Amino acid sequence: METTRTERSYAREFLKSRSGVAGLAILIILLATSIYVVAGIPSSLNTKWENSKAWEGNPQAAPPVWVNYLGVDAPQTLDVNLDKFTGTSGSSSAYSSTQTFTWNNDVPPSNLVLTPNFGGAAYELDVIWTKPDGNVVQIALSFPTSGTEYDIHTAAVSQSLTKYIQSQTGTFVTVVTPNGELAALFSNDGPRLLNNSVQKGTYSVTLQILGDQTLSPSSSQVSLVGDSYGTMGTDSYGRPIDLGVLAGLPWALELGTIASVLSVVGGILWGGLAGFYGGWRDKVMSWGTLVILAVPGISFIIALSFSVQLSLLVEALVIAALSWPGFAIIARTVTLSIRSQTYIEADRAMGISSTRTFLTHVLPRLTPVTIAFTALSVSGVIIFAETLAFLGIEPGNVITWGGILNEAITADSSLHGWWWWTLFPGIMILVASLPFVLIGFAVDRIVAPRVSAK
Amino acid sequence: MGYARFLIGKTISYVLALFAAVSLLYVGIYPSLQRVIEGSADEAASEFQRNLVKSHTGLTLPQIAAAVATFKSNYLAAFGFNQPYPVKFGLQMLNLFEFHLGSAYNLQAPDGSKQVADLIIAYLPNTVVLFTTGTLLVVAVGAILGLLAAKSAGGKFDKSIPIIAVIHSSIPAFWIGFLLIAYFAYTLNWLPSGGISSIDVAAGVLPHFTDFLWHLTLPLLSFFIVSVGGFAYVVRSLVISTMGEDFVTTARARGMTDRRLIFKHVLRTASPGIATQSILAVAGSFGGAITLEVVFRWPGLGFLTFAAIQISDLPVILGTTFILTIILFLGLYIGEIAYGFLDPRIKTGD
Repeated sequence: METTRTERSYAREFLKSRSGVAGLAILIILLATSIYVVAGIPSSLNTKWENSKAWEGNPQAAPPVWVNYLGVDAPQTLDVNLDKFTGTSGSSSAYSSTQTFTWNNDVPPSNLVLTPNFGGAAYELDVIWTKPDGNVVQIALSFPTSGTEYDIHTAAVSQSLTKYIQSQTGTFVTVVTPNGELAALFSNDGPRLLNNSVQKGTYSVTLQILGDQTLSPSSSQVSLVGDSYGTMGTDSYGRPIDLGVLAGLPWALELGTIASVLSVVGGILWGGLAGFYGGWRDKVMSWGTLVILAVPGISFIIALSFSVQLSLLVEALVIAALSWPGFAIIARTVTLSIRSQTYIEADRAMGISSTRTFLTHVLPRLTPVTIAFTALSVSGVIIFAETLAFLGIEPGNVITWGGILNEAITADSSLHGWWWWTLFPGIMILVASLPFVLIGFAVDRIVAPRVSAK
Repeated sequence: MGYARFLIGKTISYVLALFAAVSLLYVGIYPSLQRVIEGSADEAASEFQRNLVKSHTGLTLPQIAAAVATFKSNYLAAFGFNQPYPVKFGLQMLNLFEFHLGSAYNLQAPDGSKQVADLIIAYLPNTVVLFTTGTLLVVAVGAILGLLAAKSAGGKFDKSIPIIAVIHSSIPAFWIGFLLIAYFAYTLNWLPSGGISSIDVAAGVLPHFTDFLWHLTLPLLSFFIVSVGGFAYVVRSLVISTMGEDFVTTARARGMTDRRLIFKHVLRTASPGIATQSILAVAGSFGGAITLEVVFRWPGLGFLTFAAIQISDLPVILGTTFILTIILFLGLYIGEIAYGFLDPRIKTGD
């Protein structure tokens, strides 16, 4: 009866703490997001993430879309769909489809990807690209294959565009950069084509396919790959950071919770028993605590990962097995102060077994600290695991924020100024561990005076 | 007298603990360690064979092969191969503690040596410099901040300490490194983005030292930022809880000034607790310091470990893990001795 009343008063006091309530609110949002991620993002994303081919259509190392509101001109990807083909079929067939689009950015897109789709055999594919000023650029591809992505790095595309640059500038060009090719497609024409500004207005794209009688074109696409993507940008492979940041959430929460519950409960029991028993048993158990404390967790797990295949559960177990000493030390101190209380001596005088005394008197007084520690420890474990992932130690087939940051530093993202690549995964680590710290501190503040007062 | 007994007791207990910790490590790395030893044996054997062939000893090829086989089995025997597990364990532990760590697969020390021990000797001092300076700075500044907060308990400054502690507890050290690099190195261009020395330094000790400090600033600052808040918070809590004790109330009633009270009595009573917390802080911030080396390309053991992970250089990883265990152990041991020195009960032999 008395304990329930204290528990209720703990809860009431907790709800009065602003930071505690804020932590709880963030935690609920995080849990809801996790459920959304688990339900909404297919687990095949984990394998797709490692497959760099799968992300080629996205702009690479592109900032978030909203930088456009900050005065940066970073166009978004624009897909021009060509699906209505008209033409003749016979012993030789010719089909074409035309579509227009408007370009109002000061800069050209970062790439142009052409994906023709057709059945049967095709001899030639022509892109007739009409600029707003009426000039026509022609790109010719011989024997195209259906479904292949042709972009400005494709040799035939480069050749066609080089020809156009030569015709405009009147000089012989041997090497054309991707920027030069995009200038051919988008800049104002004239001898200074490569240095001119972008033409704004309505462009027209015509796709023309020539082939034998089996040819039947279907919906094809010309994609103008932009220079900004999603809410958090992309990495240098074109993978959307926002997707990675979301996908890393359930893993972090699950690992953090399992490992911290195990380590706190283990540590509290170990330290509590050591302090409660006293004497030689205390000495031996405290020494055991010291042994684990002296093992450098990060290096140990790194070395271990070369002997043991890591999985979420294995990693959680190992982290728990290495991180309990801190809790044991504090639990022992608390228990030492409880041990000398009169009710414990009374129990002893009455001949009540020490196990029972531990369960009825010591453990209940350790429970509040346990809750505070567990909350604080979840954030510790999350940071620990992300640090390991940052060093390149993580279970296979998971997306982690530390792993994204590892790739960022390998790609010298700070040097290139790709701030979004490091900013958002880091903020996510902060956001994921913050609620636990807030709750932990709030609970700690409520229970700490009672522990010392008793 | 009391302190000497404490010192001896603690030293024995710590040495045993180190042995136990390394044994644990040994069990964890057992399969990889065997692979590494076999690899080293192969390399040493082929080196031996090359020398035999080169020195024209007049041996026939089968004789050379036999000599090489004997050499290899002797090498492996020194590590307890083909012997019962206890002997193997004893021999391999002995080799570990004698720093016979084998040779790296690919990594090299600046002097070209591939011996793991040489690699570690080359990189260790930088870790010690960064970690020791960082810890001392955090303990000193953290203790002062915590004391000031406790003195003005309930004030604005005091209320900001928990906020700093919350931020500290939820940010990984290496990410702070990223942010500081982005701002101080690439935006303001004030400090180097990493490394330990510039290429174009004037000759002389002083310019080199200044250049070293210039490179040390950002890693040290990151370490300081992520560690100081939590430590100040702990000191503050310890001091505040000591202020609530009866002897403080009595001293106040006797008219003792706050200043004298805090520095002469409260701090004295709270200092063993502060020492314990310093020990935990050292253990806790250790991993963070290692990752900072990676972010700042600071050529210490953490950076070496990262380089070894990238190319799966197993001997180096095992070697650094072993050395880091010893360093952490030394840090804890020094903290414990300081604790004993500060606690008057131990000095008087209670």
